[in-house]
Amino acid sequence: MLALSLVTRAKDSLYQICRGLKTVAMHTFREPITQVYPDKMPDTNIRGRLALAVNPETSEHLCISCRQCERVCPDKCIEITAHKSPETNKLELIEFKIDHGLCMFCGLCAEVCPTSCIINTNDFEMSEYSREALVYDLRKLTLSQEESRYYFDRKEIPLPKPKPAKAAPAAAGAAKPAAAGKPEEAKSESEAKVADAKAADAKDAKEVKQADEPEKQTAAPEEKEETENKEGSDKSKD
Amino acid sequence: MATDTEVDLTPRLKTDEMLINMGPQHPATHGVLRLILTLDGEIVRHTEPILGHLHRAQEWQGQNRTWFQYQALIDRVDYLSGMFTSWAMARAAEVVDGCEVPERAEYLRVMVSEMNRITSHLLWLGTYLIDLGAMFGFPFYPFREREKLLELFEEIAGQRMMFNYIRIGGVMRNPKDAWLSKLKRFTEEFPDRVDEYEAIVTQNPIFLKRTKGVGILRKELGMDYGITGPSIRASGVNLDLRRTKPYSVYPKLKFDVPLNDRDGDTFDRYIFRIREMRESNEIIKQCLDMLPQGEISGKKQIAGLRVKAGEGFAAVESPRGTLGCYIISNGSDRAYRIKWRNPSFCNLSILPELLKNHPIADVMAIFGSIDVILPDVDR
Repeated sequence: MLALSLVTRAKDSLYQICRGLKTVAMHTFREPITQVYPDKMPDTNIRGRLALAVNPETSEHLCISCRQCERVCPDKCIEITAHKSPETNKLELIEFKIDHGLCMFCGLCAEVCPTSCIINTNDFEMSEYSREALVYDLRKLTLSQEESRYYFDRKEIPLPKPKPAKAAPAAAGAAKPAAAGKPEEAKSESEAKVADAKAADAKDAKEVKQADEPEKQTAAPEEKEETENKEGSDKSKD
Repeated sequence: MATDTEVDLTPRLKTDEMLINMGPQHPATHGVLRLILTLDGEIVRHTEPILGHLHRAQEWQGQNRTWFQYQALIDRVDYLSGMFTSWAMARAAEVVDGCEVPERAEYLRVMVSEMNRITSHLLWLGTYLIDLGAMFGFPFYPFREREKLLELFEEIAGQRMMFNYIRIGGVMRNPKDAWLSKLKRFTEEFPDRVDEYEAIVTQNPIFLKRTKGVGILRKELGMDYGITGPSIRASGVNLDLRRTKPYSVYPKLKFDVPLNDRDGDTFDRYIFRIREMRESNEIIKQCLDMLPQGEISGKKQIAGLRVKAGEGFAAVESPRGTLGCYIISNGSDRAYRIKWRNPSFCNLSILPELLKNHPIADVMAIFGSIDVILPDVDR
């Protein structure tokens, strides 16, 4: 009796193991769902490397230096340097630094950006040999016109509205060399940086102070900036 | 006192009891857990879990970040089921704030959460088989289905595990039609895949030998220790918040909560997770059919997101058990106090009881079966 039950148990076990092995063997002929990575790039919607978009139509830089992203960033990895242009009384972007070594890719900056300037690209290949190289500056962050168009299409972001006709001449004037292409723009910005360095220094110091203060108080400068923007646009309209 | 220690030491020397450190770098501890085992030969007489290696002050950070920033962080509390941690906090904040959640958002929440439950159980299944010594390739079969779901997550939320999808007042993004049809295709083929896992594992004599009658969790003991989730349901306690304290749109959905009729062992805890995956699949199917049109968020997602002053608690049924969040808000843009009730922490407390008088080879079989995630334990 004991021997009989042993034999049945052995038979049963063997059957179950073979059943499992059959399933395993069947897997051999199944198409893999993984991709061979460097040969085939994944087409994903991932929140990857941060970048600054330009207007896909006019290639104008979209950043208005409102510092919303800087304020919302949980890791404080964004650093914006801007100064108020003495001619147009508008905020002008001097430098934009993102430390990708600190970034946790939560995408909050892209969510709060009022002009959809800062976006998460699909790029995830950003290994470097040093940590310092992970700090991207304005030149490295700014996308080309084609890339911007690609991401605006892909993320279904509405295209930025064209500026009001009255404001356009002011923008096209000497104040903001906006209509230029990307390299030229970067160049002119660096020129502007040199030219305005002395004037900006004092203001920058002030802004840095403001940024260091607790957030409750920084709410006030934001409103101030907005009102200043409005004033600026009003003046340009005049 | 001195005499006491002498009395304690004498039998230990006689019976050759040995102290062994298991972890914190043990590959089967799913994170960093250190177990100090007192062994009598091969038999475990006493266990002392040492926690805290992964402590990241998640509760403290909740008081120092704005609501909007903290939402992005809490997926990291339990990285295998980020949707549930988001959901628990969002629900608690909604209880405090009293804001309405649109019905479409509720359906989307249930859908992504059940998807997340499946991915969590699938990863558990794969790693549990590794814990038991099945290193030959089966552990990667569940990862195939998991990969499909993670791709869907990536498409809808932007990331594979740190979703930041469920927000206070609703959800972040509306899914596209293509996404919904992909998910439908997945739900249709998923039961066949579970059949495959079961064909390999469930009746396997080696697996049965390792799990049947091992680590029996008595119903009363489990209730005393506050065990929740599939582990306690496998011991026959009817505790599933989706049923016993229904929230969201769960009352409108038809699904079974499998219950055991005896004290569950390691095998029962395995089979109940498998059944739960099938049920989750059914829930997703129903949600896809019932998904209404409309708004997806009842609260504007802005950087200065505020929650009204007050305090409240809300819990959801996570893959590991009852996941609760207690919030005190003073009406500002950040919480005054946040406290988490994490299922992994409570479930881990039973481990010394379960390991008692089992051979050391069963340690990982039992520890794996209660499905603990260490970041969730330490927060």
